[in-house]
Amino acid sequence: MRAVNYNPKLRLQLLLILLSISIIANIFGSYFTRFFIAEITILSIFAISLDFIASRGGMVSLGHAMFLGIGAYSTAILSINYGISPLSSTLSTFIIGVVIGLIIGYFIVFLDGIFFIMVTLALGEMFNAWVFTSDFLGGSDGISGIIRPDFSQIGIDMNNPLTFSFYVILWLLGIYFLLTKITDAPLGRNLDAIRQNSHRISAIGGYTKAYKAIAFSLSAGIASIAGSLYVQLNGFISPELTHWTVSGEGLIMIIVGGIGSISGAILGATVVHIIQHELSNIINWWMLVIGFGFIFIVLFMEDGLWGLLERIQKKLK
Amino acid sequence: MLLSLNNINKSFGAIKVLNNVNIISERKECIGIIGPNGAGKSTLFKVISGNLKQDTGDIFFNNTNITNFNTEKRARLGISQSFQKNSLFPEMTVKESLTLALTHKYNVSFNIFNSLVNNKNINTDAINIAKDIGLSDYLETKSDNLAYGLQRQLELGIAIACNPTLLLLDEPTAGMSPQETKEIIKLIKKLSINYSIIIVEHDMEVIYELAKRIYVLDRGSLIFEGDSKSVKNSELVQQKYLGI
Repeated sequence: MRAVNYNPKLRLQLLLILLSISIIANIFGSYFTRFFIAEITILSIFAISLDFIASRGGMVSLGHAMFLGIGAYSTAILSINYGISPLSSTLSTFIIGVVIGLIIGYFIVFLDGIFFIMVTLALGEMFNAWVFTSDFLGGSDGISGIIRPDFSQIGIDMNNPLTFSFYVILWLLGIYFLLTKITDAPLGRNLDAIRQNSHRISAIGGYTKAYKAIAFSLSAGIASIAGSLYVQLNGFISPELTHWTVSGEGLIMIIVGGIGSISGAILGATVVHIIQHELSNIINWWMLVIGFGFIFIVLFMEDGLWGLLERIQKKLK
Repeated sequence: MLLSLNNINKSFGAIKVLNNVNIISERKECIGIIGPNGAGKSTLFKVISGNLKQDTGDIFFNNTNITNFNTEKRARLGISQSFQKNSLFPEMTVKESLTLALTHKYNVSFNIFNSLVNNKNINTDAINIAKDIGLSDYLETKSDNLAYGLQRQLELGIAIACNPTLLLLDEPTAGMSPQETKEIIKLIKKLSINYSIIIVEHDMEVIYELAKRIYVLDRGSLIFEGDSKSVKNSELVQQKYLGI
């Protein structure tokens, strides 16, 4: 699998542009705009969790919605059944995601290509089927009544979409800086090398399986955070969130944005979600348009929108 | 003694590929393994590197029984290899490839917080290795964009960046022009001052030039062992290998 050029400067520039747009839109936008930005930000967190393992380790997961679900359901159960604060719930779901990701990763990271995709798909579908039939998790009705973090003591009203939107942006920034740090560090470079030539990493004494398991578990933890924030935004969780098509949409986002740049995944999530939303308001066959757009990008735009930005950057030099 | 292969046997189905092979490599010695096509050279190379498991027999490296160690474990003990077909990181530059390999020498491959670009020791080492292998002018060139001969040099660079004790070189001159072959021979000669080397090669002239001791394989069995002069003069080798 191909990943975009290692270009930390463009990565930061793109993040700053997207951040500026979201802050301006958040401040001057309507109630709906703010809700929409929070939604895009959460999808961006999910997309970069997928981007991280696809570009660092070459692992394409079609079952990552399972971790989105683990984060969402854990938050719901922890905050409703056990009275744990929403912020602590989100932090706990990260740990739960990491641990489950590590256990699953230990058994599957040695698989390559299509085998890895199919096993993650099977795991995701098993989880989805279980969630649908579990009374404890509310079955097909899901769970409702999930609250947002309470920072009223310091004068912040999290039920205001403006503040909640900034709250999820802060989460995205924290995760972004963690992942860029790892990407630039030896572990990230080794993971990138595994994607390019895992055989050679073994031959120079690399801990191939351990690197991949760490990346997978970290990615699972990040997807869980996205799930946790998602239920806090909507106050509700249903099994549809764990369906494999959600993972598929995440993959479309990172391919559109350009795999491997982190900022590209955020851009991909933003563009795809806006197009999805706007088109579905206008036409019934919006999925067809998205499909053609996706095929166009795969065939004619190597490295997705990131590649386009890189070419613009070169021309401007 | 650095490496010892004792009674190595390997079969693929009914075909015996290695038959009671015994090989010894001393420290800082360059030994060659030659043989006609199908002699079992590549299989032997894979058995030493851990890419293939022998049916019977033991392998000792630095007084450690590494018989059941996989490639990764053997590499960590100091057995490094360069491949017959270039096995590089195509999207990485020469410098990135070398710094990556050096993370294993410095034992920092699990580090998640310090940028590799800012690691002074690793970057200095990478530049020095690039100089040693003649790639100083290509530090920022992607591996995929290097000429074939330069890629072979980078193969060697990655292998030595891991700070090995033993270098396994599988046909290091394969596919090279005479001029490129001369360059790589010069480079391996330079490396042989500091490293123990085992070369598997079908080009006799390359082996004569580099190896102090040569093992001759034929149909999976060792048929001769000696220096280049004795190999050249051996009637058995000439009969079996050179077809004279």
